[in-house]
Amino acid sequence: MAGNSGGPWGGGKSGGGGDDRGPNNGGGRRPPEGGSQMPEIDDLVRKGQERLRVLMGGGGGTGSGGGSGGGDGPQFGRGTIGLAALGAVAVWIFASVYTIKPEEQSVELFLGSYYSTGQSGLNFAPWPLVTAEVVNVTSERTEEIGRSVGGREEGLMLTTDANIVDIEFQVVWNVADPAKLLFNIRDPQLTVQAAGESVMREIIAASNLGPILNRDRGIIADTAFRDIQATMDEYDSGIRIVRVNLDTADPPEEVIDAFREVQAAEQERDRLQRQADAYANRVLAESRGEAAQILEQAEGYRARVVNEAEGDASRFTSVLTEYTKAPEVTRKRLYLETMEEVLGDIDKTILDESIVGGEGGSNVVPYLPLNELRRNSGDNTSSNSDSSNTQGN
Amino acid sequence: MSNKMKLIIPGVVVLLFLLLSSIFVVDERQKVLVLQFGQIKQVRDEPGLGFKIPFIQEVVRYDGRILSLDTEVIEVTPSDDRRLMVDAFTRYRIRDVVQFRQAVGIGGVQTAEDRLSSILNAQIREVLGADQVTSNTILSQERRNLMNRIRDNAQTSAEGLGLEVVDVRLKKTNLPDQNLEATFARMRAERNREAADEIARGNEAAQRVRALADRTVTETISDAEREAQVVRGEADAARNRIYAEAYGADKEFFAFYRSLEAYQRSLRGGNSSMVMTPDSEFFDYLRSANPDQ
Repeated sequence: MAGNSGGPWGGGKSGGGGDDRGPNNGGGRRPPEGGSQMPEIDDLVRKGQERLRVLMGGGGGTGSGGGSGGGDGPQFGRGTIGLAALGAVAVWIFASVYTIKPEEQSVELFLGSYYSTGQSGLNFAPWPLVTAEVVNVTSERTEEIGRSVGGREEGLMLTTDANIVDIEFQVVWNVADPAKLLFNIRDPQLTVQAAGESVMREIIAASNLGPILNRDRGIIADTAFRDIQATMDEYDSGIRIVRVNLDTADPPEEVIDAFREVQAAEQERDRLQRQADAYANRVLAESRGEAAQILEQAEGYRARVVNEAEGDASRFTSVLTEYTKAPEVTRKRLYLETMEEVLGDIDKTILDESIVGGEGGSNVVPYLPLNELRRNSGDNTSSNSDSSNTQGN
Repeated sequence: MSNKMKLIIPGVVVLLFLLLSSIFVVDERQKVLVLQFGQIKQVRDEPGLGFKIPFIQEVVRYDGRILSLDTEVIEVTPSDDRRLMVDAFTRYRIRDVVQFRQAVGIGGVQTAEDRLSSILNAQIREVLGADQVTSNTILSQERRNLMNRIRDNAQTSAEGLGLEVVDVRLKKTNLPDQNLEATFARMRAERNREAADEIARGNEAAQRVRALADRTVTETISDAEREAQVVRGEADAARNRIYAEAYGADKEFFAFYRSLEAYQRSLRGGNSSMVMTPDSEFFDYLRSANPDQ
C-alpha cells in the first residue's frame, strides 16, 4: 500500500521489506530507457537470499566473485559447489556485460552517481556497483503536433489579426547528451511536444494571417526550430532538435473555399488585364498601319499633283514656245483642231441663222424633238465614234 | 561441525541482511529523505551511497528532474472582454525536499500537481486579466513577457511548496467554440471582399489599358492626318507655283490654250448634245469660201 500511493518515486514509506519495487519501477514510463533498472538494495537483499539458498555457500557479497569462503556442506560434493560457483560467476558476468548498438549510448552510474558515458560495442559495468542505462541517441524521433484528432482540429491557432489558421507540424529530435536527458527531465517526449506547441502558438500569435499562408512559412519553421531548441537548452535537457517541418499552414476547412475564390479572382484579374493588353496591342498596331497608310496616300497625292502640274506646265511651255514662233497660224490651228475634236464627239443640231433668226426662228427651238435626238445618240453609244463621225460628216 | 555450520549460515544471512538494509543508493535523478518514525533524519541531494538504521529508518525518494504539468483549458477574459480559451504547461522541479515533504505530506507529487495547477490557473487569470492586458496583447510579441510574468508569479506562490517553477508557457489561446463560427464568417467575408476587389482592379486595369490604347490610336491617326494635310498643302502649293511660273509667261495665250483644253475635256463623251447656229468662227467656211467678203 505504501509503495503505490505516491508518484513514480513515491512519497510513501519504503520499508525494509522486499516488496518495495513498485514505486521504483517508474523508469518504465521513460520511453527512451531500454537498459537495466537501478538495482535496489532491498532487491539485492532478496536476490542475495535466494542465491544463498541455492548455493548454500558462505560467500558474502556477490560482487566478490561468488561463493568464496564456502564451507563444505556435507550434503553437497565439491563438484557441485564448484559448478554452483562457476554458475554464479557466469550469472554475474552476464549481468555486468552489456552491448550498445551504434545508434545508442549508455549512461553508467556508480552507486547512483554519474560515472561515464559508454559508446557502442561491448561494455562492462560490474554489477551491482555500476549500473548502465542505454539510450538511443541518434535515431530521430518525430512529434506530430496539430494533427486533427477525432474530427477535432487540434492545430487551429489564432493570429494577431484575429484570424484562425490551421497549423500542422513535426518536431524531429534526437539526443545530444544522454546523461542530461536521463537526469534532468522526466518526460522528454511530452516536453518536446508541449514546447513545440507553445513555441508555434507564440509565433503564430505574433504574426498576421497573410504572411503565414505563403511567404513566411520558411521563417516560421526556422524561428520555431530555434525557439524550441532554446527552450530545451534552458531545461538542460540534452535534447537536440533536428528540424521542424511545417506541414500545413492553411486556412481552416470552413473557410478554405473563400480563399480559393480569392485565388480564382486573382487569376481572373490577370486574365482581364491580359485581354486588355491584347486589345491594346491589336488596335495600336492597326492604328500605326492606318497612320502609315494616310501618310503614304498624302505622299502619293503630292507626287501625283506635282507631276501633273509639272507635266502640264512643261507641255504648255513647249506649246508656247512654238506659238511665239508663228502665233497666227498656230492659234488658228489649235482652235480648229480642238473644235474638230470636241464637236466630233457630241450630238449636234445646227440651225441655220435664217431659220433661227427673226421672229419666227425663236419659235422653232421649243418644238425640236430633243429627246429623240438624245435617244438616238444613246442607242449608238457602243459605236459612238462611228455615229458621231457619220453625224459629223 | 555440521551443527555449527547450520548455526553459522543463518547468522551470516542475518548479518548480510542487516548490512544491506542499512545502506541505500541515491540515484542521480533522485532526492532522498531518510525518515525515522516520520521525523526527517537525513536529506540527500547528491547521488551516492547512504546509510541508515535498518527497520527504524525509511528512505523516501523524490524525483529531482524537471517535471511537467499541463493545465486544463480555462477561459480568461482580458480587459477588452474578448474571451479566450487558454491552457499552459509548466516545467518545475522539487527544489527543497524538506519543504516539499512538509507542504504536501505523503500525497507526494500528485498533491503538489494539484496545488501547482490551481496556482497556475490563478496566475494565468490574474496576468491575462490584468488591466492593461487586452487580447491583442496576448496575440502579439508581448506574449513572451506575459508568460514570464506568470512564471515569476507562480514561482513566488510555489515557493512554499518547495518547488521551483522553471518555465510556464501558454499553449492554446483560442476563441471559445461558440465564437468560431462568427470568426469563420468574418474571414469568409474578408476573402469575398478581397476577391471582389481583385476582379474590380482587374477591370479597372483593363479599362485603363483599353482607354489608353484608344487614345493612342486617335492620336496616331490624327497625327498622321495632320501630316498628310501638310503634305497635301505643300503639294497644292507646289502645283500652283509650277502653274503660275509656266502660265505667267503669256497670259493671253494661256487663257486661249486652257479654254481649248477645258472644252475638250468637258464636252468629251457622247453624252452632250448641242444646238448651235453655224455663225461661230468654226463654221466660217461652212457657208462661204470667203466669209470675210
